[in-house]
Amino acid sequence: MHKRSDDRLVAYLDGELEAVEQREVEAWLDGDPAARDQLAALAQSAKLVRRAFDGVLHEPVPNRLIAAARGDTRAGGKGPEILPFKQPQAAKRLARWRQWQVGLPIAASLFGVLVGGGTIYLGISKFAPADTAGALARPALEAAISNNLWLDNAAGYFKLFVSAGDNAPVDIPANGDSREALQKISQSLPQQIRLPDLKPWGLNFRGARLIIVDGRPAAQLTYTTDNKAIGPLALIIGSSNQPDIAPTFDRRQDVNLIYWRHQGRAYALVGQANVGYLWGIGNDVAWQLDAI
Amino acid sequence: MSPGQRLAELSALRVPDESVADHRFGDQLIALLPRLRRFARGLTGSAVDADDLVQAASERALARRHQFQEGTRFDSWMFRIVQTIWIDQIRSREVRKEQSDLGEDRLGSDEPVRRVEARLALSEVRQAVDQLPPDQRTALMLVTVDGLSYKEAAEIVQVPVGTIMSRLARARVALQLALEAGGGLRRSRKDAQAQ
Repeated sequence: MHKRSDDRLVAYLDGELEAVEQREVEAWLDGDPAARDQLAALAQSAKLVRRAFDGVLHEPVPNRLIAAARGDTRAGGKGPEILPFKQPQAAKRLARWRQWQVGLPIAASLFGVLVGGGTIYLGISKFAPADTAGALARPALEAAISNNLWLDNAAGYFKLFVSAGDNAPVDIPANGDSREALQKISQSLPQQIRLPDLKPWGLNFRGARLIIVDGRPAAQLTYTTDNKAIGPLALIIGSSNQPDIAPTFDRRQDVNLIYWRHQGRAYALVGQANVGYLWGIGNDVAWQLDAI
Repeated sequence: MSPGQRLAELSALRVPDESVADHRFGDQLIALLPRLRRFARGLTGSAVDADDLVQAASERALARRHQFQEGTRFDSWMFRIVQTIWIDQIRSREVRKEQSDLGEDRLGSDEPVRRVEARLALSEVRQAVDQLPPDQRTALMLVTVDGLSYKEAAEIVQVPVGTIMSRLARARVALQLALEAGGGLRRSRKDAQAQ
């Protein structure tokens, strides 16, 4: 029999005792009301401690910390590139196309986005070098171009959504049963998608739309808020055959993106909120969707 | 174009393994920042000091990324760096906190707590944590707040599991007594009942 102590009670609460010790503590608790009170008080204080600090997880992460993590001590410096390599001809064409696409005027049409994205996507293999040395570089090159296209399209759709204002096209409006709406959208996607609840951030689900990102179907979930520091926002969920990556920040002109890939899905949280808010909301989304 | 020039151009297209690894390292670190900030906030008791600590830890981690062993837990490695720098800072500055320093403004908290009573209770909790000895505070933040096991916490702090257990118990009892004395626990119970 181990001694009866606060160490045992705390370890019992934390699930750190062996089965035998656990039974001993339970027997002790059964016969000792004071120990039960002490256990309840310890549990309550532990809950309070967690609550006291969990708010930090939802705070915006300062830009200087993100810059430090990237090895860039100039806070607010240039956003990270996906992969650092010298641009080949295909990538230069892509860059020119990207400038054109991100700079789309308000009247830019969905048709242009779809056709442009599809054409570039299909054209990658034609531009890539075909000999042995090129074959070594091509997978990484294609992945980088594909990733850039994905982000370009995500930013482009967000701009279309914002510029359309109240008239933004939505396949499935928010009113009614959102689960049913998502099921309808999911029928066109490889996997069932779920709707993250962003109400704690003051963001209301506005609707869902089926879009084409980098030549693949994806769902664009849009959220609006009266808080101009945060919204509106779009969450894009698509499929990917690329390896998983942790949440990463990137930027397209005045549009910020947090994107990541997890188990065959690609995610992008897109908006004009500052990067700190986006990180906080992105973490929340990833946690809710078990997608990180 | 000569074959040599062609080869040189193609070689330039290759993604340097080291650069990709650096990028992945940065991605991992950024994803971990919210947890590191929470840990540092608990250690330092100050929002500004906590972010300074996380920044210093990030810089040190980048400088020593070659020491990180693939296949081991990145979060544990980073927690250890944060904790080590914090201990160094305590030793070098010989920080002696005065009671008057312990205020809501130092804590820099802005978490959305809806009710005044709850806010007061959480403020008391942070103050109580701030008054714990550094080793107990570290154990509390790693296990109770971040949810690590005793073994994982022991590896980060580099002490035996039994030491973590006793530090944690002392911290939890001290915290409970402080909250009982300050009324935070009673308020939180009422708050829980109200919910």
